[in-house]
Amino acid sequence: MKFRIPDRYHFLLLKLHSLTGIVPVGLFLVVHLAFNSLRTVGASQYQFGIDIINNIPFLILIEVFGIYVPLLFHSAMGFYLTFLAKPNIKIYRYPRNALYTMQRVTGAIVFVFLVYHVGTTFVPKMFYGKHLFEAAPFLIDIMNQEFETWGGRLIYLIGIFSATFHFANGLWGFCVSWGLIVGRNAQRNAGFAFAFVGLVLTFWGVATVWEFSVNPVSVEPNM
Amino acid sequence: MKPISLKIKRQDGPNGRSYWQTFETPYRPFANVISCLQEIQKSPVTREGKKVPPVVWDCNCLEEVCGSCTMLVNGKVRQACTALIDNLEGPLTLEPMSKFPVVRDLQVDRSRMFENLKKTNSWIDIDGTHDIGEGPAIPDQDRATAYVLSECMTCGCCLEACPQFTLDNSFLGAATFSQVRLFNMHPTGATQKEKRLEAVMKEGGITDCGNAQVCVEVCPKKIPLTDSIAEMSRETSLLSIKKIFNS
Repeated sequence: MKFRIPDRYHFLLLKLHSLTGIVPVGLFLVVHLAFNSLRTVGASQYQFGIDIINNIPFLILIEVFGIYVPLLFHSAMGFYLTFLAKPNIKIYRYPRNALYTMQRVTGAIVFVFLVYHVGTTFVPKMFYGKHLFEAAPFLIDIMNQEFETWGGRLIYLIGIFSATFHFANGLWGFCVSWGLIVGRNAQRNAGFAFAFVGLVLTFWGVATVWEFSVNPVSVEPNM
Repeated sequence: MKPISLKIKRQDGPNGRSYWQTFETPYRPFANVISCLQEIQKSPVTREGKKVPPVVWDCNCLEEVCGSCTMLVNGKVRQACTALIDNLEGPLTLEPMSKFPVVRDLQVDRSRMFENLKKTNSWIDIDGTHDIGEGPAIPDQDRATAYVLSECMTCGCCLEACPQFTLDNSFLGAATFSQVRLFNMHPTGATQKEKRLEAVMKEGGITDCGNAQVCVEVCPKKIPLTDSIAEMSRETSLLSIKKIFNS
């Protein structure tokens, strides 16, 4: 007997899957890339950014209920839906069908990447009890190590590209499945607009990876 | 000219195993897949010279308006009647649609599409025990839109090509959503609007669309199926928001 969602929750859960991809998960991605790109300006600016985040009141509640829970829900629903799908891009080679397949593939890649990313940053931070002002130099050291080798850089580049693609294409999917863009032209134009959003986000992420890779700087705790 | 070679996927019954047989028929100008199948039917002998039961297929109008001869020609779904041999790359392969139960050979059971129309109240209720009179006039622009939607012949191309539609799930599919839109557009049909929308807000409903948009690419009648899907997405989203505050 296959697992199925009861009818009375089906519509709600699928709508929530679509919504959580944009808010808060997608929003978090944008904020995350924006704060990290402070590293391209300088190590102390980046440290300043981390300090701001670490001083947000009720941060742990925001992290758990604003990021982790929605992210896990979105991922669980995503995997459930992906396993029910039967991609056929080999037979029906149309651009939208390719994006449909890519959306599922990148979603899975981002999930694997996030397990790695959280495992190498958030988990050691918790393990060593680093918090508030101490966290920034500690995290910067971790990131410097991550970007020392081409292997590490490649993992991040693939992770960033998958995340920005999944978000940009997901924005389009969200607009269609909530009925914001209905006509063919509207959908095509929105597709180009969101592709541009995706390129900007990718550039943001790649610039940060570049800066960490070519210019590793260690910093002291900012007390 | 070289004879036309057809590799056909066959199956003796609904529960039988499928197998392939290759047939050859002399070249004829302007031949289509149906005329080749008719040639084979005259003398069902495989290329190896083995006499076999004739190939079974469905067809009716032979002008791409009934949808009954829908099958996979060279792996892609389309109507066999408008599949002209001169425009196709040989050797030809013919298969029954993969998303519907096979009855025999190239013949499939598409009754799921009719069941979906019934599930979604996709008709217009007219007179009951009493005469409810003439319906209101429909603006020309709406009539033009409705006409295109009404051209759907439930052939199943959109469902066969849909990565979300499978043999064993309950997805209603593009054709059904488009019909819901058609009957909700009609002034008399609109009296049952919410009933139809609620029918597409369950498992297999509008939320199960993955926006791969292959449906609109393969639709032989060029019905704007993705517009219909997005329109139904809008209507159901609005209805669900309305229900939060009104129920």
